[in-house]
Amino acid sequence: MFVATVPPMNVVKAKNRLKRQAGSIERKKPHPGSDVPRTIMAGYYGQQGYPGSAGQAPGGPQGGYYGGHYGGGTPQGNSFGGSAPGGPYGGPQQPGGGSYGHATPGGPAPGAPGGPYGGQAPGGPYGAPSTNPYGAPQPGQYGQGTPCGNIPQGVDPEAFSWFQSVDTDRSGYITVKELKQALVNSNWSTFNDEACQMMINMFDKTKTGRIDIFGFAALWRFIQQWRTLFQQYDRDRSGTISAGELHQALSQMGYNLSPQFTQILMVRYCTQSANPTIQLDRFIQICTQLQTMTDAFREKDSAMAGNIRISYEDFLIMTTSRLL
Amino acid sequence: MGRGHHLIPATVRSIIGMFDRENKRGINFSEFAGVWKYITDWQGVFRTYDRDGSGAIDKNELKQALTGFGYRLSDQFYDILIRKFDRQGRTQVAFDDFIQCCIVLQRLTDAFRRYDTDQDGWIQLSYEQYLSMVFSVV
Repeated sequence: MFVATVPPMNVVKAKNRLKRQAGSIERKKPHPGSDVPRTIMAGYYGQQGYPGSAGQAPGGPQGGYYGGHYGGGTPQGNSFGGSAPGGPYGGPQQPGGGSYGHATPGGPAPGAPGGPYGGQAPGGPYGAPSTNPYGAPQPGQYGQGTPCGNIPQGVDPEAFSWFQSVDTDRSGYITVKELKQALVNSNWSTFNDEACQMMINMFDKTKTGRIDIFGFAALWRFIQQWRTLFQQYDRDRSGTISAGELHQALSQMGYNLSPQFTQILMVRYCTQSANPTIQLDRFIQICTQLQTMTDAFREKDSAMAGNIRISYEDFLIMTTSRLL
Repeated sequence: MGRGHHLIPATVRSIIGMFDRENKRGINFSEFAGVWKYITDWQGVFRTYDRDGSGAIDKNELKQALTGFGYRLSDQFYDILIRKFDRQGRTQVAFDDFIQCCIVLQRLTDAFRRYDTDQDGWIQLSYEQYLSMVFSVV
């Protein structure tokens, strides 16, 4: 086991910076028995004890930053208009049946102007866009490995050949590591690890950390739809999406968000550089996570006022349950 | 690390993010020593709650760990945590998922606290505020 020598001074500084950054409050020995690393102990919720407590709280602060609900005009009528956003967390007005909704990428323009939540994101993992000749794969097909010889029914031949080339151990399943070799950006860089993990989480219905040919075929369709959207929003044909192009893409998808917010996305998803740009993998991550978090907000915003009042645990539940 | 066990990408990114002082998305050797100490601290905590030494902790052990850190959360929430941070489908949380879970929880708590100026456990958020909060934390 690595014997931790006395950390040089600047490491101790890093730790203090970390404590300041994590905003935790210095406490006496937290409690006997477990040497809890200081940096993760935040005295905050211990003393107030409010997180999770259900005490009735006075009304929240009014006025100030509300302005127009979503910056644009007040939402008209069904402000969640536009084709149902796809993805596994499709909005409540999802078409019936098991599918996760199938917004056609070229489908109608997103909701009425000012509509906050619209978005013609590609269909969910298993939703089949109506233009897809193969139709929705029959339920109950997932989970069994299939012989790699013939192409299973309803699977895109190109997806099948990619699957075979990556399923090197012929297991009939591919893991995050194998998936990474199958998914490439336009600059031939492979998808980043987080994106691959997200894809497995979204398409691995058996929760075994790997996907079979049918899961991969659905993932393949999902990515092709995103690739089409990516090319549509890459106005200058640079092969990447700039901050400006991202902002335009989001507003055309029906999101009503400020450039400052687009900047938060760029900082979160792009590596440090003079003019950060986005490849397909990050674009899919941004749009998919943005959609699920929008669903989380919408679920609480029953009055469609663009404003919610939530408790600490509401906030934890709505957010962690939708992390990809 | 240990028996060839490598951390999941999200955890690595979070930890590097904490110790990488020049936002170079990487760490130099001196920062690495801090990361190593941080991880060994976590291993100490994890062993306290991983009673059967299986390398993974179940819902009750997770509940004990987080309650020990000061969180007061409902049983329903622990079901969500297990579902979200259990990557092997054994309804248990492995070491690196445990670190990621604690980091995410702490960051979300800090973000909530910044808005909860009257400390009553409730906050009011606009759509963009909620998104900005979430995307700068997670």
